[in-house]
Amino acid sequence: MNKKAFQADQVSKSFGALRVLDNVSITINPGEVVGLLGPNGAGKSTFINILAGYERQDGGTVTIDGHPLDGLSPSARAKLGVARTFQSGRLFSKLTVAENVALGAIGLGNSAKVAKERTQSILEILGIEKLSPYQAESISHGNARLVGLARAVAAHPEYLIMDEPAAGLNEDEAPRLIHALESVTKNIGCGMLLVEHNVKLVTDACSRVIVLATGTLIFDGDPHEALKHEEVKSAYLGNAGVH
Amino acid sequence: MIQSILDAISLGGLYSLAALGLGLVFGVMRLVNFAHGELITIAAYTLVLTTQFPLLLSLVLTIFVTALVALIMEFAIYRRLRGVSPAIMLVASFGLSTVLQRVYEFTFGALPKSAVVAPSLSGVVKFAGLSITISSVLTIILAVVILLAMGYLVERTSLGLQLRAASADFRTARLLGVRSNRLITAAFVLSGVLASFVAFILVIQNPVVNPYYGLNITILALVGIVIGGISSLRGAALGGFIVGVILSGLNTLLGNGRVYSYTWLFITVLIILLVRPGGLLSKGSELERV
Repeated sequence: MNKKAFQADQVSKSFGALRVLDNVSITINPGEVVGLLGPNGAGKSTFINILAGYERQDGGTVTIDGHPLDGLSPSARAKLGVARTFQSGRLFSKLTVAENVALGAIGLGNSAKVAKERTQSILEILGIEKLSPYQAESISHGNARLVGLARAVAAHPEYLIMDEPAAGLNEDEAPRLIHALESVTKNIGCGMLLVEHNVKLVTDACSRVIVLATGTLIFDGDPHEALKHEEVKSAYLGNAGVH
Repeated sequence: MIQSILDAISLGGLYSLAALGLGLVFGVMRLVNFAHGELITIAAYTLVLTTQFPLLLSLVLTIFVTALVALIMEFAIYRRLRGVSPAIMLVASFGLSTVLQRVYEFTFGALPKSAVVAPSLSGVVKFAGLSITISSVLTIILAVVILLAMGYLVERTSLGLQLRAASADFRTARLLGVRSNRLITAAFVLSGVLASFVAFILVIQNPVVNPYYGLNITILALVGIVIGGISSLRGAALGGFIVGVILSGLNTLLGNGRVYSYTWLFITVLIILLVRPGGLLSKGSELERV
């Protein structure tokens, strides 16, 4: 077992008679950016909710650095180095951008001084330091995505789970997100799991891709290879077999 | 006229402090703590029963006792009710309020306790040909100082940032790792401190303390946080101020007809709520709670 990795081993989940995840195992190594693809209903959201502690799995285990995370709350997992962003952003609309980002560090017990330094540094890394004094409700959707990323990174996670970071972004904003993800990888060095529908973003930003279909892992490898994979193509066309 | 304006501003400041105490707890728990009035009452009792001590010591004792009662409320009752519906929490706070009134009656007697607190602050000064009560000037100064201090705490400190975040979206604040129980405890302690200062100002003006002493101002402060914006600390302070100013203004304008002051106050409040249902500084109410 890789002691530094973030791993899910044989994770299963059912809702009533519906098997949503069927013995899914993945490994993310430090600093690695991995994409998680899959059609609607593939089990992606359930899987990341289990990884981040928002839902409990029926079977299997989730570990970081070899330590089991099973049964720990999202905030307890955040303290152990697993952070996540939300599809809806969940920014505090009346707080400034700087305050939103600082909360990512303060929430994990860092002092106000450390939080301020991290905030300044991360906003500069992402190139959005000028937004610092603005209220979150006044910034664009694309910038709000970057602020959500900055807030998660302010916790200095070892692993960051991002729930559809490109959702709702226009053609100009998506490349900025990819650039921001590259900057985070380069400067912070945390491993990432990107849950995305945007295949181009995944192939551009990720070194590896995992594909789920009807709760089963059907591909784990090079993003460009995934696009040629028959089962992946079939899943996206809606012809995945029932497992 | 000058005295009327000072009275209006001082009453506004007083209600602003009371509303802020309620708003702090509401912000992090979505709990309308009706028993906040009993914090003001215990603070008033402590002040009139410790007049033999130097004023500063009496005030420090009062803050300590009131903050302690606030903590007992949180640990003995509200912490055990985490996760229940807001209606149940509200009923619990009504129950706690009534129980504490009986406890005060049993402890201090049904007859009012009275003592002159800070006699040097209850007189009148002559200024530019005007007679101005010291208490109204003191109230304004104290309210401004405390509101500025609270403003600094809420706007400039790490605790304040967490309070504002939790007030806006408690669940997300928790997901970010903000320690909810520690934050709620801090909110109760601060509400106790604010209740102490409210009681200090009240007993200078009216040193006759009975078990229901804090009830009236608490109801009006509740009205204040509703019209100011129930999910905003700034709104709570502003709403309390507005209620105080309106009530004082009505008392002056109506003269002998001041018995109808509350009627006109609530008509005004209803009009404000019809125009701005979510309050003056709020976009809407939030139902999320602990």
